[in-house]
Amino acid sequence: MKPIIRTEDLGKYFGEMAAVHAVNLNVQQGLFTSVIGPNGAGKTTLINLLSGYLLPDTGRIFFRDTEITRWEPHRRVKIGISRSFQVMNIFPRMTVFQNILLAVLSRLNKNSNPFSSLKSQKAAVEEAEKILNEVWLWKEKDHPASQISHGDQRLLELGIAVATDPQLCFLDEPSSGMNPIERIKVLELVKKLAAERKTTFVIVEHDMDVVFSLSDRIVVMNRGKILAEGKPDEIRGNQEVRDIYLGEEI
Amino acid sequence: MKKLALLLLVVLLGLLPLFVGKYTLYMTIHIMLLSLFSLGFNLLLGYTGLLSFGQAGFFAVGAYACAKILLAAPSLLLGILGGVAVAGVISLLLGLLSIRHTRIYFSMLTLCFGMMIFSLAWKWRDMTGGDDGLVGIPRAPLEVPGLFRINMTPMENYYYVVLVFTILAVYLFYRIVHSPLGLTLQGIRDSETRAACVGISVRNYRLISFTIAGLYAGLAGALLPPLESTVTPPVAHWSHSAEPVLATLLGGIYTFAGPIVGAALFYILKDIIVRFTEYWLICLGVIVLVLVMGFRGGVVSMFYGKGGQR
Repeated sequence: MKPIIRTEDLGKYFGEMAAVHAVNLNVQQGLFTSVIGPNGAGKTTLINLLSGYLLPDTGRIFFRDTEITRWEPHRRVKIGISRSFQVMNIFPRMTVFQNILLAVLSRLNKNSNPFSSLKSQKAAVEEAEKILNEVWLWKEKDHPASQISHGDQRLLELGIAVATDPQLCFLDEPSSGMNPIERIKVLELVKKLAAERKTTFVIVEHDMDVVFSLSDRIVVMNRGKILAEGKPDEIRGNQEVRDIYLGEEI
Repeated sequence: MKKLALLLLVVLLGLLPLFVGKYTLYMTIHIMLLSLFSLGFNLLLGYTGLLSFGQAGFFAVGAYACAKILLAAPSLLLGILGGVAVAGVISLLLGLLSIRHTRIYFSMLTLCFGMMIFSLAWKWRDMTGGDDGLVGIPRAPLEVPGLFRINMTPMENYYYVVLVFTILAVYLFYRIVHSPLGLTLQGIRDSETRAACVGISVRNYRLISFTIAGLYAGLAGALLPPLESTVTPPVAHWSHSAEPVLATLLGGIYTFAGPIVGAALFYILKDIIVRFTEYWLICLGVIVLVLVMGFRGGVVSMFYGKGGQR
């Protein structure tokens, strides 16, 4: 299988600290991949580099055969890379529906249309409504996004991320700050979306139960480097990985 | 209901010259100019999240360009459209430099560019007349050769020209902010990073917003010289840039009608306060302060309740 995204010797340094160092990552298309590691391992920095939010100091990034190392985020979205954020990042003053609609309009390249009404954008409206149903937010559709519950805001963020119809989607702790029930709900949704939309998801997640039950492939990071990667079983048996998680049962 | 009220307002404004004197017409024209000026300003602040302190610069470019055209070729339409076009070009160019930054850096940059235009108006005597300004600008007839020619000498006639331009520009503005473009700008205002991560080129859209704001400032500016028959450097001064800021804060930044209501309030309050004291800005400042601290959404949002964007 061909990798959907791969890096060569990727590095990002903040002063003396190597947030990401010499990372050679290969994400296979269609495999649900999780990135795990202790705090400060460089997981979020890695996602920021891959999505264009940060620019690397060394190395290269390829999306399929295209080098995208220094592309701006919005260009990466246009070729099929999308993401969500660790800290909630939605459009708070807009309604839930408008949040999704904006992403859909962007995908359809309709953003710059200055005179037509939003309602007249039939294709975009239909698609946005479909996505609202997919992420279980139909009832909240006309509420300002800032006023729905935290759990629903996370669902909304997921909705925005998939509304650009990505081939590859990074989710940075999609279930952070949620109670266990909501957590399961969100991750089941991610799984459902992965199956229905044929999107390759790469998630950063702390809940090991979730990671091991959901993932086809796991990448373990520590101190900016990739420590191990493989199938869940291989990772579970890896002594080094056990060591960094302080011998926890994983 | 809303449509009916709007229709009523337009009819009222249309019939206004029948009932009121020159002074009220003159004031109403100024309210309309400030409305256009503030609407453009609020596209940047309320819809895109950028606070510009240099909008008077583009107002002045529109005003001076219109004045120069009218002095050379007395055609009202040519003067106004020419003024708008020049203001648009200048705002596009300065926008390219300004939108590279946001927040306070953007505000300071726009303040600088605005004051640069002020200095030009002040010092470039051959072009602008220096501190004397441009004088004797004719209120040229509204004319399309071969079609019609309307004399503009009576104030009422010019009032109707301004009214038509204002209605058209407000309608256009309504379409813009309720279009995909308007939604995109609001997305950038709400979260720049999120907008970029759904595939929006934040910089390009900021530039579009900046240019439209400049066009509206330019239109307001271009409508001024035929009214006053002079243009002087203070129209470019930063204190003039503060007028749309105050009007918008008075009316409400997150509402469509806020800047328009604010512009009317600005002139009405000014008109009342100057009867008692020449320090009217202090009183207005206090009123704005109370509004900002007490009703953050401005006057218009008091009628809509919390958080509604109209």
